[in-house]
Amino acid sequence: MTTTSTAPRQTVKPPAARRSFVERWLAMIFLAPTLLGMALFTFLPIIGSLVLAFFRWDIISAPQFVGFANFASLAEDPTVRVSFLNTIVFVIVAVILQLGIALGLASMLQARMPSWLRVFLRSTFFFPLVLSAASVSIFMRYMFNEQFGVVNWLLSLIGIPAVPWLTSPVASAAVVVLVYVWQNFGFSFLLFLGALTNIPKELHEAANLDGATGWKQFSNVTLPLISPTVLVASVMAIISALQVFDQPYVLTNGGPGDSTRTAVMVIFESAFQQLEFGEASAIGLVLTVLILAVTALQFRLSRRFVFYQ
Amino acid sequence: MTSEKTPGQPAPLHAPRPGGGLSQLTRRSLLGLTGLAVAGATVGAWPRLTGTDIPGRGSKGLKIAILGTAADAAARQGLVKAFTAAHPDIPVQVQAIQGADWKDFFSKILTMVAAGTPPDIVYVATEGAQLFADKLAEPLDDYVRRDAADMSDYFDDVHPSLLEAFMYQGSLYQLPLDWNAANMYMNTTTFAQAGLDRPKDDWTQDDFSATLRALRKARPADFTPYYWTNRLFGGVVPWLYANDTSFLTETKAAGGDWFWDRFYPNDPARATRGGGYQWLAPNAEDGRVIETFDYLRELVAEGLGVRPESGGGNALVGLFGNNRIGTTPAGGYWAQGLHDAGMTADQFDVQFFPRWRTQRHQFGAAGYAIMRTAKDKDAAWEWVKFCSSRDAMQLAIAKPNTTPTRRSMVNESFYAATGPKHWKVFYDTLDRFPTSGPIPAPPQQAAVETALMKNVSTAVSGSSADVRAAMGTLQRDLELALRRNS
Repeated sequence: MTTTSTAPRQTVKPPAARRSFVERWLAMIFLAPTLLGMALFTFLPIIGSLVLAFFRWDIISAPQFVGFANFASLAEDPTVRVSFLNTIVFVIVAVILQLGIALGLASMLQARMPSWLRVFLRSTFFFPLVLSAASVSIFMRYMFNEQFGVVNWLLSLIGIPAVPWLTSPVASAAVVVLVYVWQNFGFSFLLFLGALTNIPKELHEAANLDGATGWKQFSNVTLPLISPTVLVASVMAIISALQVFDQPYVLTNGGPGDSTRTAVMVIFESAFQQLEFGEASAIGLVLTVLILAVTALQFRLSRRFVFYQ
Repeated sequence: MTSEKTPGQPAPLHAPRPGGGLSQLTRRSLLGLTGLAVAGATVGAWPRLTGTDIPGRGSKGLKIAILGTAADAAARQGLVKAFTAAHPDIPVQVQAIQGADWKDFFSKILTMVAAGTPPDIVYVATEGAQLFADKLAEPLDDYVRRDAADMSDYFDDVHPSLLEAFMYQGSLYQLPLDWNAANMYMNTTTFAQAGLDRPKDDWTQDDFSATLRALRKARPADFTPYYWTNRLFGGVVPWLYANDTSFLTETKAAGGDWFWDRFYPNDPARATRGGGYQWLAPNAEDGRVIETFDYLRELVAEGLGVRPESGGGNALVGLFGNNRIGTTPAGGYWAQGLHDAGMTADQFDVQFFPRWRTQRHQFGAAGYAIMRTAKDKDAAWEWVKFCSSRDAMQLAIAKPNTTPTRRSMVNESFYAATGPKHWKVFYDTLDRFPTSGPIPAPPQQAAVETALMKNVSTAVSGSSADVRAAMGTLQRDLELALRRNS
């Protein structure tokens, strides 16, 4: 005889499962403000910008759907083309200089020196990063003025004639790169300093015993060990350089000609000065795709040179 | 051995430690306190978070946006007080919007429009007059007609050229309150060093070149005979106007007779007045434009003039005061600036811009525009009308940091403290050269200015052949610029 129980089956969850359920909800509650913030201030504007790229909109009138016309006009506009080319050249030069200088100075600080000097140098190298890019650029604009700037005055003391720093295409591009690198290498410097400090001394001692010194030790021991930091620093430096705006805008206003006009400058000019918000969104979209592509490429290539301990 | 655990109760995660104060706080209490602190800070900062602490935001009064700092807004309190006394039923609030230049200011106003918090009235300069007239501003025609009797005093005192600069397609959009022509400032100390006197009123472009050469000879180093900046006002445009040309084809719209016939029937230039300037096509490859750019290129090549950077004239005040600049184009606004920098009235002087094919001058003006979105346009007009009265203008322009549009205010006592000796040049510019024109600023002004600025520097930095190439590029850039938002 079989007996069938008519009593409802009670499913008793084990305590661990109940805790997990509560923790999940708690996690959701705690994450909600951040997720809401990101949705409102990151994803929504991105989607809005994406949609806007297909409209013609001057803020005042109602948006008008134009399909791919904004993208077509970008291709026709020589200023946009030049600004993207400038940005790419700027990124290559600025990032190489920024990482090179940061790594060089961080390595230098590993050398034996009084701790007060180490602290002083570390603060000095990091200091430009905390300054406002706009105010630094205004200051540098006076420094590099062809007629009355300190830089040309110093050069005149050693007999070098005045250089048109901000009014010649090559010199102005060099000044923009210089000011940008001076202000931004401090971040990469700190990253490298941290990574170099974490390398166990024994490895260098072992390398010394094996006869590896100088460049060999740096390239075979130091560089592989800090390669994850190099990857992070380079990704951040490239993304930041692709978005350069303040320095060229204040120093040269994109000139002379278009020689220092960057992609973000063109976005700003299109949107907030020329009231072409659709076109500006289209340029922004192209720039975003470029940044994503470069970053993805970096991570792809990193498999070949990044060494994880 | 005694256990801290009470039978039947879970053990406390963090038992209180001996001692007192913060060390007794449990993690839960700390989290609770942090939550309270965050909530308190949010409540405290609520006016800032919601923007209700912004002066004028949410108030029912007229919101008036000006380019400047909070100090500039505060400086207008006398004006606001006088207006409130005359119109106690119309509360007003002056909002200062900071910007590097007019272009920057207009961008911020447009952002306010997009955010749904537009001001009711905006102080707009010639650079943005057509942008506002085309998209944002309310025409004043009906108000001017309605209050014609009240307005006659203003129009009788203001040169018609200044009004024409604020007409757009036959309608009047602003009453200009201050203005400046691009005159030529001279550093008298450097002129004396070079043995030069103040040039004659009708000096020519050749006289100007000779003056610069003499200045250079007297001060071979550490000195710039002619300093100019790369922008719409005071850059290449005054030279283009003097050479009877411009980088945009200048025409006049039809209409405007209602205004000229009523208020300026005896204007000697009445036949030439129209419904406002219009710049519809590029003209960069015109022979005279190329000739003008080439002249400036020669000045640069000869070391008589600088390669121009962008920026305003304020940066030059110190250098001019230190006798490191011989000449530069600027308006009446510089008199106060140089005085504040320590220059005495006899250390600088001013003259008309040199004659080339003509002696037509460039000028810029500014006045209040009523926004189409203004809730109470009648009240806004009362403000605009009040500000054009002599009393109000004297309150608003107490010092010569600009040139008042009322001729009667430009007098000996106005320049008594600052100079220059020949202050009459400022207003005489319009009387002597009535064809003088405004800054070429179509509704697409921002794109036009960008196109001009970027090609000026290229044109004046190379060879004569480079000028022609640069003008080709300028022509192309202007075509693109004029197509924007048209």
